[in-house]
Amino acid sequence: MGQIPRTSPIGTDATRPDAWTKVSGRETYAADFYAPNMVWAGLKRASVPCARITSLDTSRARQLSGVLAVLTAEDVPGSNATGLIHKDQPILVQDIIRRQGDPVALVVAETRKALDQALESIDLELEELPGVYDPQAALADGAPLVHAHAADNVIAEITARKGDGAQDFDRYPLCIEHTVTLPRQEHAFLETEAGWARQEADGRITLTVSTQSPHRDRLELSEALEIDFQDLRIAAPFLGGGFGGKDGLNVHPYLVLAARQADGRPVKMHWPRSESFLAGTKRMPGTLTYRLGAEEDGRLAALDCRIVLDGGAYSHLNGEVLSMCVEHAGGPYRIPHVHIHGRCVYTNNPPGGPFRGFGVPQAAAGMERCMDILAKRLDMDPLHLRRINVLHKGEKAPLGNTVNHSVGIDVCLDRTADHPLWRERNTWREQAGRFKRRGVGLSCVWHGMGYGPKVADYATAKIELTEQGAFLVDVGVTDMGQGNAGTYAQIAAEILNQDPGSMQLVLPDTDLTPPCCSSAASRTTYTYGRALIEAARAMHKRLREKAAVMSLGSRPEDFVLIPGGIRHLRTDRQMSLSALSRKLNPAERISHSHWQAPQPPDVLDLETKNALGLPHCVFSHAVHVAFLEVDELTGQVRVLDYLAVTEAGRIINPQLFHQQIQGGVAQGLGYALFEDYEVQNGRTRCPGFGAYVLPMSLDVPDICSQAVQIHEESGPFGMKGVGEIPVDAVLPAVANALADACGIRPDRPPFTPERVLGALKSSTTKDESA
Amino acid sequence: MGTEVFLPQSLPEFWDVHGSHPDAAIYHGGTDVLVRLKETGRTPPAYICLERIPELQAVQDCGETLFVGAGLTHAQILIEPNIATHWPLLPRAVAVLGSPPIRHTGTLGGNLGTASPAGDTLPPLYCLQAEVHVVSASGRRSLDIRDFILGPGHTALQPGELILGVQAPKAGDWGIPHFEKVGSRQAMTCSLASLAALIKIAPGGCIQDIRLAWGSLGPTVICSKAIHRKALGKPLNIQTLNSLADLIQEKISPIDDQRASIHYRRQLAQNLMLRLVSDY
Repeated sequence: MGQIPRTSPIGTDATRPDAWTKVSGRETYAADFYAPNMVWAGLKRASVPCARITSLDTSRARQLSGVLAVLTAEDVPGSNATGLIHKDQPILVQDIIRRQGDPVALVVAETRKALDQALESIDLELEELPGVYDPQAALADGAPLVHAHAADNVIAEITARKGDGAQDFDRYPLCIEHTVTLPRQEHAFLETEAGWARQEADGRITLTVSTQSPHRDRLELSEALEIDFQDLRIAAPFLGGGFGGKDGLNVHPYLVLAARQADGRPVKMHWPRSESFLAGTKRMPGTLTYRLGAEEDGRLAALDCRIVLDGGAYSHLNGEVLSMCVEHAGGPYRIPHVHIHGRCVYTNNPPGGPFRGFGVPQAAAGMERCMDILAKRLDMDPLHLRRINVLHKGEKAPLGNTVNHSVGIDVCLDRTADHPLWRERNTWREQAGRFKRRGVGLSCVWHGMGYGPKVADYATAKIELTEQGAFLVDVGVTDMGQGNAGTYAQIAAEILNQDPGSMQLVLPDTDLTPPCCSSAASRTTYTYGRALIEAARAMHKRLREKAAVMSLGSRPEDFVLIPGGIRHLRTDRQMSLSALSRKLNPAERISHSHWQAPQPPDVLDLETKNALGLPHCVFSHAVHVAFLEVDELTGQVRVLDYLAVTEAGRIINPQLFHQQIQGGVAQGLGYALFEDYEVQNGRTRCPGFGAYVLPMSLDVPDICSQAVQIHEESGPFGMKGVGEIPVDAVLPAVANALADACGIRPDRPPFTPERVLGALKSSTTKDESA
Repeated sequence: MGTEVFLPQSLPEFWDVHGSHPDAAIYHGGTDVLVRLKETGRTPPAYICLERIPELQAVQDCGETLFVGAGLTHAQILIEPNIATHWPLLPRAVAVLGSPPIRHTGTLGGNLGTASPAGDTLPPLYCLQAEVHVVSASGRRSLDIRDFILGPGHTALQPGELILGVQAPKAGDWGIPHFEKVGSRQAMTCSLASLAALIKIAPGGCIQDIRLAWGSLGPTVICSKAIHRKALGKPLNIQTLNSLADLIQEKISPIDDQRASIHYRRQLAQNLMLRLVSDY
């Protein structure tokens, strides 16, 4: 039996259990699988974005040696349609190519070389069709239709109103107008889309895939390919990054089809970087047009916001991303009169999809610029303007839902105001060298947690005591790098009074771990943690009860769990967990618990078409401040300091919390300053990292991450999600800092040196007064 | 069938191998060769690696001049004391070339042979008025760097020749060795424009001697005697540098690509000079 831990694991720094295996290269990702008899699967993809297949001849490829199978749409059983809300994406295209990279044939071959030769030997003839590559053009009358079922090319549409619907801006002494156009962002995870599968002797197909959503994938696959749900098993090891880009099917259907051709041999599919860039989903680009009315004292009065997002060729979760964008369009502020109209549109561009932030980064980019423009117009401290407008508990959010959970945005503002970086900002600003200008920009965001109404946001946790006396803790929700697996060990260890390092983790596997929703929506630990606490408590209770049953005259409360064992308090006698476990039958060694996240009770004035998931009721909050320097000669921007103050409830593992902030800010700096997945008439201009600029270590400053801890009663140990909020606030903080530094109107990120220098030159004639 | 890899231990051994494998690719750090291999998908029949040839690793103090072997990696250039003393301009450029892994494997000779307009070592070598030494099985010759580099990816290197190194006058007494590169991020970036400068200031504060060389603003490095003449004898200030603007715009011929527009590159050509006023 081990020593009693010196500190409670909850709230203390703990090194994640996967740290050493990952930094030493020993962790086995889905992409790392190799076996001597393994075969390879790959896809023939269309090179143009909009076309009709006039001929697809696979006969040459089939005859090559080393080729096991070449499949086309005709070989796909079932509906040949995937999609989460709308089944609009074919597994293999039969007739119409809707975006560059649409797959038309699947090859299974003995070696990678044979695979490449076969893919080159497939003769695909296409007749190009007029496509639509701009969301505004897609909405115009007579625009070519991307899908016959969407007569207006609209994937989803939402109109939200509050108060008088922001009809009359003449009533307000101040009115700000601002439009921001946002780029497409690539997930750029280290491990590209990958997995392997095998058909077992009993006919079942087992897959190991780099996926955020193994349970939902299983359901979607079984429906799309008409396979019995029970005949599919999906395991998700640790992911080499996901960020939303693996929240849904990618390699899975092809692995299933290929496994059926491989005679029991394992089949692997691993997209090279170029294929991941071409075929993976992206953060949706779009345009947000704002009008914000305010009183003379700075109180917000009315908001009118028009949002158009480019969903690309397939709907995926784009309607839901739009929902989040609409819900967060007004920021964490009291605004009495609101009108928000959002549309997400089909085009023949690369499909959009979930990406850390899920529509909130786009919304914050618009709203937080408006707030700064307003502050400047009022000649008011931008922090003070936020302070007089932020929401408090019991008040109504921009869509009208009442905020009835923990709210920490005002405390985040206070903490920022007190921070030396903020207090000394004016001195800092004046220290710019020759040909340099310094600026400080603030942004203020919130982020709703979970799926919102209608889509159940649930988790089922499981703990098992092995016969050897070890606790197996299910990691029911994929750990894509955020570290939730280690957090689950901490939670279970806390309740069972064990050393967290002694907890054995079982990674997601649809045969072993009970169903849970995806690793997404800042809900991974929030929802699963609650279920796990209940499961751990049930286990704790059962072990004490069993011990009492076995010990004449004892009650459960006479026992306490200690690391590796259980102690009888009155006699000080101890029994090891393995001894106790051997007295249990197998069913007693397992405890389960199911938990579903709360949903808001309000009924809102919403008109929605194909959109789900708003509003939310539990939010995290953050205030970010960027300190940057602009080079007047080159337009280069260097962020020199960064302050991120975050309220996400109480913190279970501060180390992981701050890692989320650091990573999110770096990714946000990429979105603000560097990253632009450019597409021209549906064709990618970014075949790889050579043409897609990611920030690197020298581009990211030291980030000062401060936590404001406020107890959230619905969260496990009072916590809320922190996975997404750090990325939301960065772009507007940088934009506001740029405006502060040199009076330019930063409305077209990323703010590349060329754009900034161009804006600097034109700002000498036009003043930023908005 | 695999690709053969040879590791000759000396120049004579290299010529032997090269004679029997004339189609082999010459490989040193691989930072360009491997990228090209991926782009073209064509694997050469053999590689001849240069890393073990001692003649390419030489750094020689030749009195008035310094000779640096083509096989020095960028990381070696950064720590070589002779280079720091006599050509302090070169390490300033090398310090912002690629990333630590690239600098540990890429070489000076590779930068010359690839002859990219964006090659970071090239503007300093133009300022230093370097001579490029090349060898073949039958002998050795040297060319002015301006005659060696003919265009993007194009040099005066003949089949059967190897870049041995560069030789240039010592320039440790030039008061201002300056290099600046503009890229799309701080490191691991291809230059959108760069400027190397060597300037001697006379006791009265006027420009006694000046050499300026721009990278990424034409098919090869831009280095103009007319610009130098115009600046001579004048004080190093904004007026002087601005007076060169028209000449600079005449000499450069930047391209428009995904990384930057012609317009931006033209602005940079001029603006980068102004740094000489703020930094020195």
